[in-house]
Amino acid sequence: MNYPFLDIPFFGSGWMIGINAIIHVLISHFAVGGGIFLVFAEAKALREGRRDWFPRLKALSKFFLVLTGVFGAMGGVGIWFSIGLANPEGTSVLIHNFVFGWAIEWVFFLVELSLAAAYYYTWNRVSDKDHLRLGYAYAIASIGTLVIINGILTFKLTPGEWLAHAGSGQEPMYFFQAFFNPGYWPALGVRVLGCLALAGVWSLLVFSRIDGETEGAVKTSMVRWATKWFLPGFFLMPVFAFWFYSTIPLDHRALLELGIASIGQGLFTHVTRMALIFILSMATISAVVYLIAWYAPRNFGFGNALLVMFLAAMAVGSGESLREYLRKPFIVNGYIYSNGTRVKEVAKRNEEGYLKNSMWVVKGFGNDANALSKYEVGKRMFQGQCMTCHTVDGYRSMRKLLKGRDNKSIASVLEVLHEYKPDSPYRKYMPPLVGRPEEIDALRFYLNHMVNGDPVAAKAP
Amino acid sequence: MPENLYNWFDQRLGLGALKEMAEHKQVPNHKLSHWYYWGGLSLFFFSVMCASGVLLLMYYTPGEGAYESVRNITTHVKFGWLIRSIHSWSANLMIFSAFVHMFSTFFMKAYRAPREFLWWSGIGLLSLGMIFGFSGYLLPMDELAYFATKVGLAIPSTMPVVGPIISDLARGGSEIGAITVSRFFALHVAILPAVFIPLLGFHLYLVQKHGMSIPPSEQAKPESKRKTIPFFPNFALKDLAVWLIALNVLALLACIFPWDLGPAADSLKSAPQDIHPEWYFMSSFQILKAFGNWFPGALGEFLGLGVFNLGVFLWALVPFFDPDTRGGAWARRVTWYGYFVVLVVIVTTIWAYLALPSGT
Repeated sequence: MNYPFLDIPFFGSGWMIGINAIIHVLISHFAVGGGIFLVFAEAKALREGRRDWFPRLKALSKFFLVLTGVFGAMGGVGIWFSIGLANPEGTSVLIHNFVFGWAIEWVFFLVELSLAAAYYYTWNRVSDKDHLRLGYAYAIASIGTLVIINGILTFKLTPGEWLAHAGSGQEPMYFFQAFFNPGYWPALGVRVLGCLALAGVWSLLVFSRIDGETEGAVKTSMVRWATKWFLPGFFLMPVFAFWFYSTIPLDHRALLELGIASIGQGLFTHVTRMALIFILSMATISAVVYLIAWYAPRNFGFGNALLVMFLAAMAVGSGESLREYLRKPFIVNGYIYSNGTRVKEVAKRNEEGYLKNSMWVVKGFGNDANALSKYEVGKRMFQGQCMTCHTVDGYRSMRKLLKGRDNKSIASVLEVLHEYKPDSPYRKYMPPLVGRPEEIDALRFYLNHMVNGDPVAAKAP
Repeated sequence: MPENLYNWFDQRLGLGALKEMAEHKQVPNHKLSHWYYWGGLSLFFFSVMCASGVLLLMYYTPGEGAYESVRNITTHVKFGWLIRSIHSWSANLMIFSAFVHMFSTFFMKAYRAPREFLWWSGIGLLSLGMIFGFSGYLLPMDELAYFATKVGLAIPSTMPVVGPIISDLARGGSEIGAITVSRFFALHVAILPAVFIPLLGFHLYLVQKHGMSIPPSEQAKPESKRKTIPFFPNFALKDLAVWLIALNVLALLACIFPWDLGPAADSLKSAPQDIHPEWYFMSSFQILKAFGNWFPGALGEFLGLGVFNLGVFLWALVPFFDPDTRGGAWARRVTWYGYFVVLVVIVTTIWAYLALPSGT
């Protein structure tokens, strides 16, 4: 590939993105759901004359401003930063297609941040009516950001009609086909329901701090109202999740089924595992909220709220990783593989060589690929084609996965990956291995040294 | 109609008394109340373990075919890997929760009169739970299970007179083999449950009888200042919520870290370098090892076992040293003994892991 390789030892670059993303999704979905929550709560308090809610709502909006404005915004930049480093080719494809989409999102985002600040600082300073208007404006701007990013996220799994024009140089002409792809509407539904539930999760965290002894009535009313935000998700999430499932291309659904059938072999079945965790955490969170918050709101403490948050993090983490894993072995389904190799370039790279098309590698060695030792060539092949998903010793450890295989056996795995026949079991979750035969042999040499400590390779420069 | 149905059952089973008891039972509510959930959590993990254990029974065969049958469960039986992982994880989490439960009741002084039998039956349950773990560990008969059991069974054999008899009895001979698996299996699914379940019933009966104990900080308050919540439905529903969360934790662990099955046990092979027992035996394992190093030969083994057993014995006797709410110097000494035991358990466990050969 034409960018430097990123090596995150042990955890792998995927987890670098993953941890950042789980935190970001928890906060950014609150930025959308919380905006709706705040203004609806304020409207309800005004309508029903619940002035005692106002100090609590002000506290919530302060927490909201700091959390979403600082941590949410920084996390978003963090995701850009990490995906750009971990997978520059894939990021480049998205930018080339959606540069205007992101520009629109940027505008919504600026409006959103400004309005969140304005909403907090104008409590008791402008009329009730104007304050409500600010709240509604914020809610609309924040929904705007979700509406945009959802198109880009769903595009990766279901690029739909866009795929027919991929590689033509005319891709941005098909912006709307890419944006309103088959997965767009069901995923938007899932996300909106998630936003509403997360508004409940975070506001429960804030409301749990109200003293149930001295302010029992207000705590009861606010905690109970917050729990109701789980109801839309409780009833509708299965509908939208099933709709989303029905838009997933058949061969990717097969990945889930393969996981169920062959899960015991243990290595490549994350998607099924994540599906199980997602279903269980989604199914239980509403029950837990009912039991510990709705039923006894006065006793609902901070520790209880953290338990709900833990379940929410589980649901978000497993749901998002499920969506990511389902796309294997692609970044953009049918167009670019997870290690940055484009589908249409496979033949060319097999003929010309992988490293010849990886400008960064060769530049370091005086523009001459031949200057690299066999060991170095193998290492660069590993860094370029394997390291996006695998680490040497940690997550999806190469050493562990190849343990017990000798030189010949490693060579045959690489051959199966390179040939990439239609019935190859690896096709469902791994990209093809590309490169000239001598490059693949160098990778075999490098891996054999890694796994079996080949003394010849160890001496190589 | 529902009322008639209720009356029909009530006349025959006496549901009214049960209902009345549930309605009147109160659970103290104070800042240490969250410790009350750990006993229930241990019970929950035990129930999960029973259910998943019964499912494993459908496919597991003890004896010669043990390893093959576990391999079949993990690789072929649909969701077999999940059930097996849930079983092993719930076992570990049960022992963990039981330890937390034991130490929290210790520091809340819940062993004082009239709850001595709760304390003793609890210690009994935890010990049986650990034997459950030890006997279950061998059943897959993979390399790690085989060698770890070999090391484990060597420990009692150092005891004078009865030691070798216990070890031989458990092994069913001088070597670990198919017969040992059958014996451990019988212990695991028949003998231990037959002892454990009645003892558990006794423990739960005593909890019902005496109610939840309140810690000294609450006892110091005048009765009018103490708060309670009804056991049913308030506390029971919270308990249920905590159990649901525990179920999620269990699923998360089982899905992300499914239980491995190593290569089949082979007595002719040399033991892997890093053989060690489960984490909850590491502390005692290290104490025995340390005494063995300090005092070479039979003396070290004898002293190690002696000191360890004395510690456990004193632990069981604390209700006699600190019998009631009068407190005083002995109450403080017992608390210090608790700190000391926690410290020893933590330090020796960490030490044991650090002392393992590198590469683990």
